[in-house]
Amino acid sequence: MTTVVKSRDLRAPRNALDRPAGRSGWLVVAGQEVQDLWKSGRGPLLLFCFSVLLSAVTYLASTNQALNFLERREAVNLLLQFAVAVGVLVTLIVSADGISGERERGTLESLLVTPVSRRGIIAGKLIAALSLWLAAFLVSVPYVWVLARAVGILSKALILGLVVGTIVAIGMASIGLLISAVCNSNKTSLAASAFLLLILFAPTQLPSGLPQGWFFDVLQLANPVASALSYLTTQLVQGAHWTEDLVYLVSPVITVVLAGGALILFGPGIVRLRAGGDAG
Amino acid sequence: MSERLMANSTVEAVNLTKRYGTRTAVDDVSFTTRPGDIVGLLGPNGAGKTTTIRLLTTVLTPTSGQFWIAGHPWTSPDEIRRRVGVLPESGGYPGFQTGQEYLHYHALLYGFTGAKATGIADSLLAEVGLDDRAGSRISGYSRGMRQRLGIARALVNNPAVVFFDEPNLGLDPAGQSQVLEIIRRVAHGRGATVILSTHMLSEVEEVCSRVIILNEGSLVASGTVGDVMRTAEVERAAQLRVPTNLIERARRALSEVPDLVIERTDGRPDVVRISLRTSAGVAADETSERLNAAIVAVAAANVPVLSYEMEGARLTDAFLQMTRRAAS
Repeated sequence: MTTVVKSRDLRAPRNALDRPAGRSGWLVVAGQEVQDLWKSGRGPLLLFCFSVLLSAVTYLASTNQALNFLERREAVNLLLQFAVAVGVLVTLIVSADGISGERERGTLESLLVTPVSRRGIIAGKLIAALSLWLAAFLVSVPYVWVLARAVGILSKALILGLVVGTIVAIGMASIGLLISAVCNSNKTSLAASAFLLLILFAPTQLPSGLPQGWFFDVLQLANPVASALSYLTTQLVQGAHWTEDLVYLVSPVITVVLAGGALILFGPGIVRLRAGGDAG
Repeated sequence: MSERLMANSTVEAVNLTKRYGTRTAVDDVSFTTRPGDIVGLLGPNGAGKTTTIRLLTTVLTPTSGQFWIAGHPWTSPDEIRRRVGVLPESGGYPGFQTGQEYLHYHALLYGFTGAKATGIADSLLAEVGLDDRAGSRISGYSRGMRQRLGIARALVNNPAVVFFDEPNLGLDPAGQSQVLEIIRRVAHGRGATVILSTHMLSEVEEVCSRVIILNEGSLVASGTVGDVMRTAEVERAAQLRVPTNLIERARRALSEVPDLVIERTDGRPDVVRISLRTSAGVAADETSERLNAAIVAVAAANVPVLSYEMEGARLTDAFLQMTRRAAS
């Protein structure tokens, strides 16, 4: 192979580099991260798995409803809860790969030496992760339509799913990025994030017939995932007005504020070549 | 800042230090570079070369000390990042992107518009000889091609200082030669300062105008290759190869030269190895002159010199001498 040595020089003058007028760095990172997510095949694969699971749940819910084991509203609620929980899970998985994955692939240093701030890098990765949540939500729309249109709660279910799911997704994606920034290994980051969601999601699956006292209620309210799903239940099954039971949205919103705030405050310090230290 | 710019130094490091707890990775390192310099950053593994690069590129923050890049102080990392390019050691590449997409993305990161970024990407791909593979996925690139793509990426912002950390690691001789040629062009064609961290001392001798030797985080030598070799005070010796039947005549001629010691050369009947009786405190230039006098003496005795090889006159020898001395 011969190296082609070209004499033409299309260099930008150095002075022109002081303040080029292109897009903001975080937007560039976000655009590229979204492209990477979908072009690398990770996004489509996760979305395919999500669709398969959603199909199975929809089938089970609709057949149970046909056999009168499940009231129609409960079927919609079950489906929407599942869509939010799994949609958030895949979002969390993507965000948990955000920093630790770049470290493992050896691509973080070339990003850190660009003028894009570390907060900008985090913002770009957060947006990319949330793109997967939005895609998951769009995939779930026809399934919700199948179950919800007959009982007149289609628009309510969709708006609730989008708003509540987005709040939970932002909070959990922020936590995923924090975990990713402090874990040196991508496997550790993914395992810790998945485990976190599991322990948050598990209480929602306890049989409703179990005795539940005030302590359980407090735990339920403090758990951003369980609490958000409970809000969906009060709205869709019990027919509450959206302003009722807003207490269930307190912990999801607090999660967004705390995790997002931690990313803004500590992000520049923890997005580094090695987690837990400054070592190169 | 204006003083720094007037001084025309592209890199100025003053007492740069980086500590991790009790361990000191870089200890009180100071040096300056000028536009067009190719500076070899040398040192054994763990000497602090990569940490120094990461400090100067603002990836790490120094524990103490100061530095300026193209006149911009260490306290303005954004300004510095706009003026440096880096090829990290063992950097990764997104395999599913094409070379063109990869460079286009990095140009956008520096704030260029889409059209300008496309122009820069195309130009750099041509400059490093990858224009014919611009549309191919990086996963299909050879290691040498990836290194050249990494070099192109380091140049998207037309930097004043470019850091290459082990650019020839794992490359075959042809690939190494290509990378060295590009490095020369970066310094001489673009007028950028190149800081080349490497273990391959032969390539340093080939392309570097100056060298900096680090050992255990400390600077043990800096200057031109010649300066470093002079200050290293490496013991010099030489080997002469002469016709076997004239070996004794050559030995007799050499024995007449003052301060020369004729050493044994077991199993090589046509070789005479000579060294100076003492080289301590004697300047390297003078040492070379005295050894060269041996050739004159042999030639005067009508013994043809078939080959003459100076030992201890290479950067490798100086490097080993300095790092050993620092370690002891």
